[in-house]
Amino acid sequence: MLRKRFDLSDVKCSHCQLAFDASVMIEEGDALYFCCKGCQGVYHLLKDDGLDAFYDKMRNNTIAPPLENDKDSSSFDLESFKQRYIKTDADGFSRVDLVIEGIHCAACVWLNEKILNETEGVLEVSINFSNNKAKLVWDEETVKLSTLIEKIRLVGYNAYPYDFNEVSQQSIDAKRDYISRMGVAIFGVLNIMMIDVAKYAGYFLGMDREVLHMIHLVEFLFSTMVLFYSGWIFFKGAYYGLKNKIINMDLLVSGGATITYFYSISILFGAKGQSYFDSVAMIILFVLVGKYLEVLGKKSAMDSMDRMKSQIPLEATIIENGIKKVVTLDEVKVGDIIEVKNGEKASVDGVSIVKLATFDESSLSGESLPVEKQKGDNIFSGTINTGNVMRYEATKNYANSSLSTMMNLLEDALASKPKIEETTNRLSQHFSLSIIILAMLSFVGWYFYSGDFEKSLIITISVIVIACPCALALATPIASLVGISWATQKGLLFKEAKFIETFAKATTVVVDKTGTITKGKLTVKHQSKVLNEEHLALLYALLSGSTHPVSQSIKKYLETTAKEIDALNLENIEQVSAQGMLAHYGKIQLLGGNAKLMQRHGIMVEKSAYTVYHFAIDGVLISSFELEDSIKENVTELIAYFKKEKIDLFMATGDSKEVASRLANEVGIESFMSQMSPLDKANKIKALKEQGEIVVMVGDGINDTLALSYADIAIVMGSGADVALAMSDVVVQNNSLLGIKDAFVISRRTYKFIKQNLLISLLYNVITIPLAIAGYVMPLFAALSMSVSSLLVVGNSMRIKIKK
Amino acid sequence: MTEVLQLELIVGIVVTFILILIFVLSAKKGNFDDQKKMMDGMLFDSPDDLRSAVKQEAKQEEMKKKKRESKELDK
Repeated sequence: MLRKRFDLSDVKCSHCQLAFDASVMIEEGDALYFCCKGCQGVYHLLKDDGLDAFYDKMRNNTIAPPLENDKDSSSFDLESFKQRYIKTDADGFSRVDLVIEGIHCAACVWLNEKILNETEGVLEVSINFSNNKAKLVWDEETVKLSTLIEKIRLVGYNAYPYDFNEVSQQSIDAKRDYISRMGVAIFGVLNIMMIDVAKYAGYFLGMDREVLHMIHLVEFLFSTMVLFYSGWIFFKGAYYGLKNKIINMDLLVSGGATITYFYSISILFGAKGQSYFDSVAMIILFVLVGKYLEVLGKKSAMDSMDRMKSQIPLEATIIENGIKKVVTLDEVKVGDIIEVKNGEKASVDGVSIVKLATFDESSLSGESLPVEKQKGDNIFSGTINTGNVMRYEATKNYANSSLSTMMNLLEDALASKPKIEETTNRLSQHFSLSIIILAMLSFVGWYFYSGDFEKSLIITISVIVIACPCALALATPIASLVGISWATQKGLLFKEAKFIETFAKATTVVVDKTGTITKGKLTVKHQSKVLNEEHLALLYALLSGSTHPVSQSIKKYLETTAKEIDALNLENIEQVSAQGMLAHYGKIQLLGGNAKLMQRHGIMVEKSAYTVYHFAIDGVLISSFELEDSIKENVTELIAYFKKEKIDLFMATGDSKEVASRLANEVGIESFMSQMSPLDKANKIKALKEQGEIVVMVGDGINDTLALSYADIAIVMGSGADVALAMSDVVVQNNSLLGIKDAFVISRRTYKFIKQNLLISLLYNVITIPLAIAGYVMPLFAALSMSVSSLLVVGNSMRIKIKK
Repeated sequence: MTEVLQLELIVGIVVTFILILIFVLSAKKGNFDDQKKMMDGMLFDSPDDLRSAVKQEAKQEEMKKKKRESKELDK
């Protein structure tokens, strides 16, 4: 259905409120219009159940039409499901945590909660609007979970379970802890500020000593609460820092605030001077806000991980001796035949055993169009079968399958720190120590210069607070977080955040030809001589021993052109790296490969500008196959980008000089290296590195792994061999060459912002520290300006995603 | 005058600390986990929603009571 923007000829759907052309709407009476039968059904269901308040709550929001879901929900009642996701509380009620798909607004939350709450047997349901997570507590003896899921599906939403574990609980507890500490700090600061109005008014207009004492007393109570309750985390951080012999920013914050606090107490008990209880509370509050933002960032990363994890299917249907059997994911073994119905997800990786199937691989690659899968093609876990029921053979167990691996990589990436961050952390430790020394020197200097203890102490506090390296410590992680999440949206998986820095500094890119520049799907363009039955069977047997794309293409070609091929078993099969294969059939020696292999065995062959596979028996050339590989889309755009950014580009291939040269001319690559063995490629990268270049290698095959391991950054296409994926630093999940360009753009932009952030924080310190030492900054303004510097860094990082 | 001020302050501080304690306990219990939903509820919840919430609480109590009773019977 074609959706258009709202204009005069459009009418709004009575359920989802989306506007469509009047001609495509289902009309019902005078005032009801529906964009689809789903909306019509849900509308009437809500009306009948008296839930039409939903439409009032929607106000001006629109929602997506109901999700079509005819999936069987009985899997929610399986024992394996119960064991994995359902917990029983002390009262005997069951609890499950769900991710509700299709929630758009507060009305959606209201509707789902309402419909579940009104069901007999539901004790509690709470849906979190910001992350679409729901907690459902019900009595299993009264109602089955599958019935509750059906209810959700009936009104056009869908629900997946997610594993609510200790880590999830910890992140929730951390957020709650910060909310309560921050709430108390805000409350304390607001009250102190209110009282301060009276205090400062009295400062100028005169005030009774007794009243001033009362004001100090109230300020003392509030600031004590803020310092020791809200600021407790800084004391804890400082303690652990000192225990590990590290002077961290927590020590600066807690130290600065505590000195101010005790000084102010001395004023409260009669010493001469001004109290600074207000500064104590504000220092804690401002820094706490910065820390809370960090906690929120981590929590949101956890939520997106949970959402991804909720996409994992619960079980698989395997075919055992012709009988269907539903098993849990952990029970699926390599070699099992798995059946996937339309709309179901593949549970583990495998290869298709049916002629044709279509899969939606958007969860892995971001590519929205369904991908056709032929017999022998790879099926990836987490992808959805969009065609008819199909079967495939498992090649991996669940733990080693794509979805599980990708999630582990993402978790690792979020946990890792870029090199620049490690350096910054070390720097901020030295920095903190220097500030403490500087503050002490300021105190001694001012005390001897002015003889005023109070002034010297206040200056010391200001120096400590203003120099707190919060912005410095935030500069890199916050920018990396924004960069990595942007890359993930573009289908790029940075295995570790530290690769952003190296990527941004890269000067040279070495690309593999087959599978990277070209699609790697070769087709036979020309065959020099038709083979007899015996030769055909020998060649077919030889080709069957190799997974190289050239061998596979010729094998496919023979299967389609020959009526029947005898199956033969070869002996002594030997792979000759980047050249071909050698084998024996009885006493007959078989050779299959490129011109280099033939020449090594004294067979003369003609040169060609195409990829040529020669087949020889006992030193005699039998036939040659000319193959053509189609070039990937966007090659020219990528090359133009490299030229613009002055990044050197080399194409490395095991193919002949002619083939490499023809392709290089066609796409505009100036430097290429042909007839490269895996070792040659690795040596070339080593040589480039010795020349001081920072090298990025792009590859996809097993033959590239050595070179990938030598490179500073290894990029592998998502469809690449497992070993190559394991060796990679960055995975381009959608296999698009533009992914490489995106990786450069994102990492260079992120690194630029990291440097900007560091500059902001350093400039701030360079300007403010001398001012504080000179006595121009009050502790209150020191705290405020320190927080402003942190906010500047966070705000600047948010600009990373905003493209010029 | 000062005595009145002192008395007001004492009462105010006691009330304040009770309210803070309630806030801390409710935050730890998860009442502020979903700020968006909370704000929306404050602005747009109708008397019907409040009635439903009260009904739901009564239903919860009743369910818990029934569960306890059936547990005791089992014993």
